[in-house]
Amino acid sequence: MLRVIFFKERVGIPMALYEVVFILRQDIAVQDVNKISQQFEEILSEGGAKILKKESWGLRSLAYIVKKNKKGHYIMLGVDSDIAVVNELARRLKISEDVIGHQILRVENIDENPSPMLQAPAELKHGSSDLADAI
Amino acid sequence: MTENNNIENNGASENSTNLISNSVLFNRKNTSKKVATCPLSGKNAPVIDYKNIELLSRYISEKGRILPSRLTGVCAKKQRELTKAIKQARNIALLPFAKQ
Repeated sequence: MLRVIFFKERVGIPMALYEVVFILRQDIAVQDVNKISQQFEEILSEGGAKILKKESWGLRSLAYIVKKNKKGHYIMLGVDSDIAVVNELARRLKISEDVIGHQILRVENIDENPSPMLQAPAELKHGSSDLADAI
Repeated sequence: MTENNNIENNGASENSTNLISNSVLFNRKNTSKKVATCPLSGKNAPVIDYKNIELLSRYISEKGRILPSRLTGVCAKKQRELTKAIKQARNIALLPFAKQ
């Protein structure tokens, strides 16, 4: 028992890299989007997490209707945190009425460059095979 | 003149050897293969990421379904990564689950 406590103190709480994407309702004004996302960032930083990357993908059209919204404000955070803080964030995102969807993924590395979402969009093509249309 | 005839009738000479080999005539090995190498493996291949929907949308059908690797030519390992990324993108409404 003593040995276990000693080990935990030596190693500490493991931190891992996570990517958090959440979508805010389209009714929210652009100025409020920043305020709301800062509330979630505070939850993370108070728990001892480091926010390595923050991106706002803006108001995008959703691929399907989510809670009667056709568009949403996308925010992405790259975070270095432990699991307890991330679980707390997930719980708050689930409760929040402004957030219509969220996803937290554990990643191996967070790229410093802007993600493909912020780069210039080319025309979207579906699969080019003729057989693909039948599927 | 006779030389021209000989060149034209190259299949109908007196010895009548089959000049087109059987392996070419009856070869069905490569009929279903579309692409020689996997487009996502190799040096300059793009990184598969759920955020890269421009890349992912090339591997879904018109109705939004994931295309099989026998059509796209993707190798098995990359097909698994692709599937995972498409499903992650679908969760946050970057790609559809199904469309008409």
